[in-house]
Amino acid sequence: MNYRGLSIDELHALLVAKKVTPLELAQEALALAKKDSNNAFEYIMEKEALDFAASLTEPEENNPLWGIPFVIKDNFSTKDVPTTGSSNILKGYVPVFDATVVEKLKAAKAVAIGKTTLDELAMGGTGTSGHLGMTFNPYDRKHERLVGGSSCGSAAVTADGFVPFALGSDTGDSTRKPASYAGLVGFKPTWSRISRYGLFPFAPSLDTVGIFSRNVKDSAYVLDVLAGHDDRDFTSSVKPVDEYAKDIEKVNPKAKIAVIKGIVNSISNKVVLDKFNETIDMLKNAGFTVDFVEIDEKILSSLFPTYFVISCAEATSNNANMDGIKFGPYYNGQTFEDVVSQARTNGFGELIKRRFIIGNFALMKENQKDLFLRAQKNRRVIVNAVNDILKEYDFIYCPAAPSIAPKVGEKSDRLSNEYLIADNHLVIANFAGLPSITLPIGMKDGMPFGANFTGRAFEDKQVLQIAYELEKHTGLKNIVAKGE
Amino acid sequence: MNFEPVIGLEIHVELKTKSKMFSSAPVTYGKEANTQTAPLDLGFPGTLPVVNKQAVIDAIRVSNALHMSIDHELHFDRKNYFYSDLPKGYQITQDRRPIGSHGYLEIVVNGEKKRIGIQRLHMEEDTCKQLHFKNFTLLNYNRAGTPLIEIVSEPEIRSGEEAMKYVEMIRSIVVFSEVSDGKMEEGSLRCDVNVSIRPVGTKEFGTKVEVKNINSITYVKNAIDFEVKRQQEIIESGGKVIQETRRYDDETKTTIAMRLKTDSVDYKYFPEPNIIPIKLSDEFVNDAIASCPELAESKKERYLNEFKLNDYDASLLVSDKDISVYYDNCAKLTKQYKILANWINVDVLSYLNKNNCTINEFPLSPEQLVSLIAIIEKNEVSSNQAKSIFNKMVEEKCDAQKARQILGISSQISDESFIKNVINEVLDENPQSIKDYKEGKDRALGFMVGQVMKKTQGKVNPKMTSEMLLKELENR
Repeated sequence: MNYRGLSIDELHALLVAKKVTPLELAQEALALAKKDSNNAFEYIMEKEALDFAASLTEPEENNPLWGIPFVIKDNFSTKDVPTTGSSNILKGYVPVFDATVVEKLKAAKAVAIGKTTLDELAMGGTGTSGHLGMTFNPYDRKHERLVGGSSCGSAAVTADGFVPFALGSDTGDSTRKPASYAGLVGFKPTWSRISRYGLFPFAPSLDTVGIFSRNVKDSAYVLDVLAGHDDRDFTSSVKPVDEYAKDIEKVNPKAKIAVIKGIVNSISNKVVLDKFNETIDMLKNAGFTVDFVEIDEKILSSLFPTYFVISCAEATSNNANMDGIKFGPYYNGQTFEDVVSQARTNGFGELIKRRFIIGNFALMKENQKDLFLRAQKNRRVIVNAVNDILKEYDFIYCPAAPSIAPKVGEKSDRLSNEYLIADNHLVIANFAGLPSITLPIGMKDGMPFGANFTGRAFEDKQVLQIAYELEKHTGLKNIVAKGE
Repeated sequence: MNFEPVIGLEIHVELKTKSKMFSSAPVTYGKEANTQTAPLDLGFPGTLPVVNKQAVIDAIRVSNALHMSIDHELHFDRKNYFYSDLPKGYQITQDRRPIGSHGYLEIVVNGEKKRIGIQRLHMEEDTCKQLHFKNFTLLNYNRAGTPLIEIVSEPEIRSGEEAMKYVEMIRSIVVFSEVSDGKMEEGSLRCDVNVSIRPVGTKEFGTKVEVKNINSITYVKNAIDFEVKRQQEIIESGGKVIQETRRYDDETKTTIAMRLKTDSVDYKYFPEPNIIPIKLSDEFVNDAIASCPELAESKKERYLNEFKLNDYDASLLVSDKDISVYYDNCAKLTKQYKILANWINVDVLSYLNKNNCTINEFPLSPEQLVSLIAIIEKNEVSSNQAKSIFNKMVEEKCDAQKARQILGISSQISDESFIKNVINEVLDENPQSIKDYKEGKDRALGFMVGQVMKKTQGKVNPKMTSEMLLKELENR
């Protein structure tokens, strides 16, 4: 029995032909999960998965997700299954409801086999700050390299081939960055295209449900199930959904692609740059127009601070429910302030406490104008600059990260353009709510790295199509880390 | 020195929508603790607010009644603070753009009209209810998330009396427009009062004291009267009023200091990211206004102009919404508006008072009450008989005909020739009484009327009988 690393199409064909059952797939995925060496699981849903998979007996030919195993980032609410957000403050929390995306996948009869680690409450980009410690990059069996975050567990599990797809979330680049480090497709659809009901909020104006898969079409299959309005999410769009997988090959042959010069220029890694330029040639040869365009460097270097202020401000408010009274460990105290402060002091990790303080600082009456409101205004400036480009171009195309996955503790100069721009530009798609997809374009020292397409709002289909097109040329699909 | 009180009111009104402001949990009162909740009301991670359309309609109706300009784009904000009664650690409210702004309300004090400016009306959600004990606190989330509107007056109120009238008016508006039951004692209308005083003629405000959570209209007046006097005495004895929050204590009829109010808390407001601004079409806003149930003011106008009631009757009828509705339902069945108003304002009200119940518990349907009016209209019974019939109706929950049957009160006889015959029969039989009457003994008259009644089993019209008897006596 070895279905590890197979795509949704491959598994679906086997399932429909009754060469394998959902139960057998679940059993294998669960066995792999139990032997996981990447510290990628918060909770293995053994009983739930086996029961559900066993109930799936009649293959559904027109339902590509039927019986397909997957994993869920542990910041999605799952009914009767512990959900921690990889934070001690939620240790022991068992939600009473399923997130809409979980519900939809269940309805499509995909089989959840586990909940995966993340940076604590999705705040972080390293995959090291969750309460279980670091999650490792499956491509690096020495366990020195990050898989990136915050959706570290989902990235690791998918890259290791246990399941063909995973749910992540993406507030700054939390799906698309780890995808680059783990040789995966990481897709952040248009903000409001997928319901966020049941996704633990980090910064709701930026938060998007993310999808990991090992090829572009698999992400399209998943979006087919997840996209659409939800009465429980007031911000979810009522726009009709497209047929993402069905139309995957219908790329517009005359599509115009913009490469942002300032982003490419801030990257020093020659292998990444060379490979990236090669893919530009591939796109050109395929008949697409690829132009280098400018965005004011001031705007580019403001991405990170703008993101940090807005996301921390929203985060501090969103996590104020965890006060030790309803959520979080209860410590007795003389006053409610005692109770709250003990719960939060003991429950949260250092890094996110720092973010909360920064967020509060930015929202204080005396600072709000200089920090929060200024960041909001600047967000508008950034969005306008990007939308201006997208008036003329169908897509923006850039390297997803300046390098392969860094080693733990590897220092980067936080004031350099390489950090401020190349390491943080993916947040542009969150600011503007745009569909954005990372896909692998190359390998260095056995480690993958990726590039990213971002398109116009609600052109999720087009973004999937262009990524699918490039994937054909790079041939980098369905790659699996396959360590032991 | 003469002082002038400067008073501003903040009124929280709980809306009686079916579901909560942002969740699908029901809005109820008095149900078992923590049974009327949805995950959002307890701040479960991942839950999202969905705006209650009816609450928006309600807010528009009240804004309109208060002559406010209505924002056609809804914006919500987060008010961030930690408190044990606040499930999410923030409250969703409207800070930057309240749905209603710049309105006014007219009150009548000592027969004079006065206009009180209203700064803003905004929507928000209620917190959970706390029950404090010595060593612990119980939390009841049934109330958490109940839709509220907050109405903030300008500091243009000058006395406890004015404040009382203002609250009465607001209460009448929210009750008549059916957005709230307006019960202060159940907390569905809550009042915070800001009071300061300043020397007459000055423009600057004095130090403001807030009296929180006053739960009856009389207490509003008492609290303000006490507070004004207290502040005046402090200043007159050379002291300084301290900025603080106080509460009203009805036993001592005083206000009691709760906590110092230092620099106001920084609530770190920011736009609610889970609710994108909502455009309200003109049609939506106009529909909300047009479909608003009739307010007391316009009902009263109608009673005065169409039904020709006097001011006293009209005012009394609209002082209780349900009674005015009952009156309106009766008025659809008869044209005797005045008689009807009398019966409701006197007999029905006295029944309600005596039995300590509301009009909704009154045993007679409008049809039944109007059946009595019809008999009275035709002059078929005496007024005393009418009262007996009313009492019997209430007792038996029946209409007037049935009650009359039970009581054996048949129609009054108003046939002149018949009455005349009986009168003459009586006169013929009682020559002594005629003599007594002629000698000035008034008692004799009553005796003779009684004799006529006796002969007719009380069926003749007593008024006619007395009048005709006098006439016949003159002929003798």
